[in-house]
Amino acid sequence: MASEEESAVKEPLDLIRLSLDERIYVKLRSDRELRGKLHAYDQHLNMILGDVEEVVTSIEIDDETYEEIVRTTKRNVPFLFVRGDGVILVSPPLRTA
Amino acid sequence: MLFFSYFKELVGREVTVELKNDLAIRGTLHSVDQYLNIKLENTRVVDQEKYPHMLSVRNCFIRGSVVRYVQLPPEGVDVELLHDATRREARGG
Amino acid sequence: MSSGPGLESLVDQTISVITNDGRNIVGVLKGFDQATNIILDESHERVFSTKEGVQQLVLGLYIIRGDNISIVGELDADLDSTVDWSNMKAYPLKPVIH
Repeated sequence: MASEEESAVKEPLDLIRLSLDERIYVKLRSDRELRGKLHAYDQHLNMILGDVEEVVTSIEIDDETYEEIVRTTKRNVPFLFVRGDGVILVSPPLRTA
Repeated sequence: MLFFSYFKELVGREVTVELKNDLAIRGTLHSVDQYLNIKLENTRVVDQEKYPHMLSVRNCFIRGSVVRYVQLPPEGVDVELLHDATRREARGG
Repeated sequence: MSSGPGLESLVDQTISVITNDGRNIVGVLKGFDQATNIILDESHERVFSTKEGVQQLVLGLYIIRGDNISIVGELDADLDSTVDWSNMKAYPLKPVIH
């Protein structure tokens, strides 16, 4: 039974607690983004995500035209521990109205 | 403490540690400490052609601060257990 | 406190250290502390490049600050002797970006 105290959102980490077992979006340093189901986290924002899709964005310079080419690399990982010091932002799942 | 405890339970399993220098090292988890420093045994670098630097290293210590990800074995993840431990930790337990 | 991944078992052994700026330093581990600061004796750097094989640079006695250490590897002497480092070409490791 969720008490009133448990469901109240008073600080940022409370919002993350409400996202447990939900798919979240995580933006990381080094132009990395993750989407996955949140299974565990702590106060450092270390996390364990499940069914993860990672997107890495890199910019390459075309040899001839010197144009910037934005490239994204995707991969899937079943379970991933993410160290919190690389986390820039966490976004809870979109709630449909 | 949550992840320190979790990784202690994972000792003996195969994991892949991805570092912030883009190196990925696969090996058997030997031990972990409260900084989440990790010791791996029977290690091999995932892209050995590109990274031959550790060809003669079989056991290694990885400083927790340079870890970006650890790929976990699915059989080493009990989702319900993690949820409970996380809620307990969030309450300041 | 349970036994963590200390470096006790590596004392007086030859180790290969990867630093955060991507260098590879090989030497004999003489001491360490909680912060992973280490004392390395008879150390030398293995310099990787794509132009030529691995060059050895003699450094001597070094104390390396833990904050700048990525990996401490136990060097397997038998395995190491089978690697032809003088003909090994590779890009230097990338630095750690926190």
